[in-house]
Amino acid sequence: MSIREIFALISFIVSAVFGLAGVAGLFRFPGPYARLQAGSLCGTTSVFTAFIGVLILAPSWAIAFRIIIIMILFMVNAPVSSFIVARFTWESGTPMWKPKKKPRRRKAATAAGRKAAAEQATDAGTAEKGEADS
Amino acid sequence: MTQIMLQGMQIFFLFCAALCVLRFILGPSTPDRLVALNVLSGVTLGFLVVRGVAEGRVLYLDVALVYDIFGFLGFLAIARFLRDKLTGKGDE
Repeated sequence: MSIREIFALISFIVSAVFGLAGVAGLFRFPGPYARLQAGSLCGTTSVFTAFIGVLILAPSWAIAFRIIIIMILFMVNAPVSSFIVARFTWESGTPMWKPKKKPRRRKAATAAGRKAAAEQATDAGTAEKGEADS
Repeated sequence: MTQIMLQGMQIFFLFCAALCVLRFILGPSTPDRLVALNVLSGVTLGFLVVRGVAEGRVLYLDVALVYDIFGFLGFLAIARFLRDKLTGKGDE
């Protein structure tokens, strides 16, 4: 196993992880905006990392230069088309996704947070007092 | 080893493409379908490039290059058409 194959294997593994995350996000996220984020970011990163791995493995210079040109074009195309989808989604009046039980969760979170913060403050105060006394 | 890795990446890209097609069919709204189409075009491009390197032929890479350019133009046209249809512009 040569050095080229090791680097290519690393970039392929990264590509597979990002691709699986992107496809999972495409199915798990609610709402078009969240899906757009998952698909565009993870999809672009996955394909681009696979390009880098293939570029390391390229058998000849002709293939390598073509891959570089494709990489440059892909770097221009993919974000622009994601932007076009986002603008289309915004202009077609799609509402943002909101969690259903938002107020109750927030109250509980803030109450728990206040309790924890108060406990921490009292602990710190007693500790400081103890240190000062000793 | 090289051939095994390239074969694995081809299978992985085919798997991603199949899931994107599923999202394209299931997508409840038009933006979902457009997102799936966007990801599908990138995944297909990656598959073509990996296939070209695995076969050692330059022809697949030329096809991938042209597919990238024309896929982007077609995507732009589709988005423009759908937007005009939704907002009611472009009827004149």
